[in-house]
Amino acid sequence: MKITAKQYAESLYEAVQNRNDSQIKVVINNFFSILVQNNDIAKAEDVVVEFEKIWNIEQGIIKAEAMSARELDKNTVKLLNSHIVELSSAKKVILDQKINKNILGGTVIKYEDKILDGSLRMRLSELKSEMVK
Amino acid sequence: MSNTKDFIVEQLKQQIAGFKHEVKEQTVGKVIKIGDGIAQISGLSDVMMSEMLKFSSNKESEIRQPEAGPPRAENPKSEIRHGVALNLEEDSVGAIILGDCSSIKEGDEVKSLKRILEVPVGNSMIGRVVNPLGKALDGKGEIIADKFYPIEKIAPGVIARESVSEPVQTGIKAIDAMIPIGRGQRELIIGDRQIGKTAIAIDAIINQKGQNMKCIYVAIGQKESKIANIAAKLEEHGAMEYTTIVLAGASDPASLAYIAPYAGCAMAEYFLDKGEDVLIVYDDLSKHAVAYREISLLLKRPPSREAYPGDVFYLHSRLLERSCNLNKEHGSGSITALPIIETQAGDVSAYIPTNVISITDGQIYLEPDLFYQGNRPAVNAGLSVSRVGSAAQIKAMKKVAGKMRLDAAQYRELAAFAQFGSDLDEETKNKLERGKRLVEIFKQDQYKTVSAANQVLIFFAITSGLLDNISVKKINNFEEGLNKYAKNNGQDILQEIADRGELSEKLEEMMKKLVEDYKSTIDLEK
Repeated sequence: MKITAKQYAESLYEAVQNRNDSQIKVVINNFFSILVQNNDIAKAEDVVVEFEKIWNIEQGIIKAEAMSARELDKNTVKLLNSHIVELSSAKKVILDQKINKNILGGTVIKYEDKILDGSLRMRLSELKSEMVK
Repeated sequence: MSNTKDFIVEQLKQQIAGFKHEVKEQTVGKVIKIGDGIAQISGLSDVMMSEMLKFSSNKESEIRQPEAGPPRAENPKSEIRHGVALNLEEDSVGAIILGDCSSIKEGDEVKSLKRILEVPVGNSMIGRVVNPLGKALDGKGEIIADKFYPIEKIAPGVIARESVSEPVQTGIKAIDAMIPIGRGQRELIIGDRQIGKTAIAIDAIINQKGQNMKCIYVAIGQKESKIANIAAKLEEHGAMEYTTIVLAGASDPASLAYIAPYAGCAMAEYFLDKGEDVLIVYDDLSKHAVAYREISLLLKRPPSREAYPGDVFYLHSRLLERSCNLNKEHGSGSITALPIIETQAGDVSAYIPTNVISITDGQIYLEPDLFYQGNRPAVNAGLSVSRVGSAAQIKAMKKVAGKMRLDAAQYRELAAFAQFGSDLDEETKNKLERGKRLVEIFKQDQYKTVSAANQVLIFFAITSGLLDNISVKKINNFEEGLNKYAKNNGQDILQEIADRGELSEKLEEMMKKLVEDYKSTIDLEK
């Protein structure tokens, strides 16, 4: 039977839970020897991706992206961080910053499959459609 | 001058001041795979089944280069595309794209609109040719709809329904006499290609003039040239005044062909809710099944018999179940459906034909042999049935044409049998002679519908034996002449049949006299 990358990642996660560092090393060694045995070493990269997903879900970590027209100062980033934590009920947020001049001002926050568009461009286009009415 | 300027600025300021902005959380997905009109989307965790999706390309703004070059039309590629979520999987959503999908790229943003797919409906649709999304295709300008109706709707239940009681006059003698259709019925038209299936449906639409009926013709995967012809013919006969054509052409993607009959039905339901009667033609459902098969296979749903998906029965049953005859408490509207199925080489026992036969309340079976013998419409009397329509037939018609289907079917068998021997008993000979004339009467040209009263008159003439001494070849001329004669000399009789719908003995006497009077005016020997 074929074992999918997701199944590998799930079992790996179970295996490393509640172990200390030296034990984890052994588990990973064993895991890779199983991959080699099953001739599945090509799946290693996918397994890492899947593992990261599972890890993030289990540990309550989410990845978020903040897009702004200019670089944000530290205070704003902190505020954004706590705002996202509040919205998503996650424990920890890894915020990725991006600069996009096209949004003119404000910020666009993306996390999981949600989007909060607080950009000036969006506001202007909404104003436009409101005025056209 | 400056005063007006200030005034405008002041007004704008006021408008802007009233504008409130709030940041709303939206669910977005990303296109991970696109092709063949199907998109796989990641994210969109709270999307509903058959919810509308909006595709917008987000890369476009980053690539745009404002300087240099001639001024372009505003964002030629940023046209918004809509889709429908059909497959909700564990970590992705399978969606069909309504329209051209060439402008959608991998990584594009997808937003859900929180609305089940709906189409514009309303009185402004009448007389128009539209696509399944309600966009005008006839170049007569944009359609402003009254309302939007969801394309999928649960059919009315038992409480709201009533048995079929009013007739739909198709104006085709063979059908009105032998296979009567009632308002709210679903009558299948089935036969091979090029045999006159669409012709029957179009004649039925043309004959609805003045019968208080809205008509919707849904063309699924049809050639656009054919639809142009049909639209022109309907226009010519003044039928576009109450008809809408919903067209998913042969070159349109399968997604449009798939939603076309549901969209047409939604448009019909608007009139139903207003208590009106609607006739809807689905031309044809075999192409609809093929379009759905294409979509299902591309969405990787498991195929079953003939590679159709497992729910192909439900596909048609839920559509045709929406035809109904509502009772008084629910507005007493009705939707009569004429679905069309094209068979391959007369094979009615294939998968889709048997499915649809079992869903509908009867079928009109068209036979190639009859067609090539010149019996047009080529209705096979033996295999065609109407399971509920006889209850809706007007009494006069029932009286004169009640046994006609049996007679016509028996004649065909007898005729085949009589080819072997020449010495037949008197009774059989009479039956054969009567049958020959009956077949002649059922021959009818396209676009030449006959009113119910005229039908009653000619059927009365044949069943009472008044045509027995007219040669078979002359029957058609005789009928034509009789109709003309009746128009001039027997208008009161026709009017009474139309008004009362019943035949009294006195009326029968008058009809007999009319036919005999006409016979005396012509030279029978000629």
